[in-house]
Amino acid sequence: MTDPTIPIADRDSAPYWAALAAGRLEIQQCLDCGHWTWPPRPICSKCHGENLAWRAPQGTGEVHSWVRLHRPVFPSLKDLVPFDIVLVRLDEEDDILIPGRLVSNVQVHQGMRVRAAPRKLTDDVGEILWEAVSA
Amino acid sequence: MGETSTFPRSQAAIAGIGCTEFSKDSGMSTFGLAARAVKAAVADAGLELSDIDGLATFGPGDSVSPNVLAQGLGIPSMSYFVDQYLGGSVSLSIIGSAALAVSAGVADCVVCYRALNGRSEQRMNASGAGAKQPWDVQYKMSTGYIVPAQEMGMAARAHMERYGTTSEDFGRLAILCRTNALDNERAMMRRPMTMDDYLASAWISEPFRMFDCCLETDGAVAVAIVRADRAKDLPHRPVLLQGAAWGGGVNLYNNGTTDLAESPAKPIAKRLYHAAGVGAADIDFAELYDCFTFTLLAQIEGYGFAEDGGVPDMLRDGAFDRAAGTLPVNTHGGLLSEGYLHGFNHVYEAVQQIRGEAQHRQIDRHDLGLVAGQLGYISAYSSALVLAGA
Repeated sequence: MTDPTIPIADRDSAPYWAALAAGRLEIQQCLDCGHWTWPPRPICSKCHGENLAWRAPQGTGEVHSWVRLHRPVFPSLKDLVPFDIVLVRLDEEDDILIPGRLVSNVQVHQGMRVRAAPRKLTDDVGEILWEAVSA
Repeated sequence: MGETSTFPRSQAAIAGIGCTEFSKDSGMSTFGLAARAVKAAVADAGLELSDIDGLATFGPGDSVSPNVLAQGLGIPSMSYFVDQYLGGSVSLSIIGSAALAVSAGVADCVVCYRALNGRSEQRMNASGAGAKQPWDVQYKMSTGYIVPAQEMGMAARAHMERYGTTSEDFGRLAILCRTNALDNERAMMRRPMTMDDYLASAWISEPFRMFDCCLETDGAVAVAIVRADRAKDLPHRPVLLQGAAWGGGVNLYNNGTTDLAESPAKPIAKRLYHAAGVGAADIDFAELYDCFTFTLLAQIEGYGFAEDGGVPDMLRDGAFDRAAGTLPVNTHGGLLSEGYLHGFNHVYEAVQQIRGEAQHRQIDRHDLGLVAGQLGYISAYSSALVLAGA
């Protein structure tokens, strides 16, 4: 059986995953209205046009909410628990909330500043870890 | 658009209900469970299997499909069917849709059912996902962020941050449901729960402990729906579908809604009350989708039974208690303590209450009940009903 923690890309998301595998966070920005869209989609989530480009946001944001995972869903995460899964509001767009595992030496809190730390999982896909930005 | 629903108010009615035992291991297929519940519902309605001309179910692929069940039950030709994909958020949509079909004359008797081996086969909180990663699921896999306890825990945490809601508040909801299950012969959990018990239960996905999470259950529930004028001639007090609503809700990643502390039940509540022609103050009791303690709280808020952030004080005052509360909720113990029949057990209980057949669980004011499906996190769907005694 394939490792369930490895994301399976689709036509909309393949460039997103490839960028993360290469160590970059890239999401779609609309060339017509400037709005950022996430998760990857074939159309802009604001003006619904198709004129989207993959761009690198600053990669920073703040924690809106979090859960501390004590019971892992996948066996491969057993060594990591307990850990915090954070929902991060990206600085570019109020309505983009990206989940990921928090890497931090300090206690998580709402409004905590974090930065995306892409991590390669395979040649084709990666993941985002969220690293606390020291004040 | 949508808030001015012209739902065919009270033109269809639930005439019969049926259920199986709720257990950890049914020892039979969901086909067998569904057949038992459907037969029981039809018998309860004073009808025959041959009267059924519509079947509807829902689930993430683990119920038994209407076409398969129809063959098994000897229904030669159905004039209506729904096999709705997804979980608790769509649970009551199939009942609302059945009311439309029956009111429109497309079908005469639609039986809606949900059968699942939710403990012994396909468990909701296990890693059943993984083979498929549709749409937004792929973005959660690497973190193992894929089960409802995590996703709804995010909303619970946001609510705690904004309103100061505490673990003890969640504990009071768990205890309320447990208390209502104690004298319910259908309930799986009939041992009393104290606040110490609650606080001692293991963290699952903090802020959720084990006792914040609903049960996993094998079983089935079915309800038979006919036109209201026909229901008058059947054995039981007709339970009218006074209103139904679909939609509402938020997807946590839909690039639109950003406020997890706000109850996603609010949009559908407005539509539901308009469809039914009543307001929150008219409702006698509510059976709300308590997959977690927090979702019960968020529905009490969202359906207008409390101010935002006001549930904890009302809980301490006993406002939602079955015996003396102003709005009894989850009078059977809910998904948390009766069983996880994916919201259909809430309908079963509401019908018993409205008929006055709930025995020692019977509440005094029981003519108008609100029943709600999962409140609209994750899928961005929800579904809800207002049921009224004729």
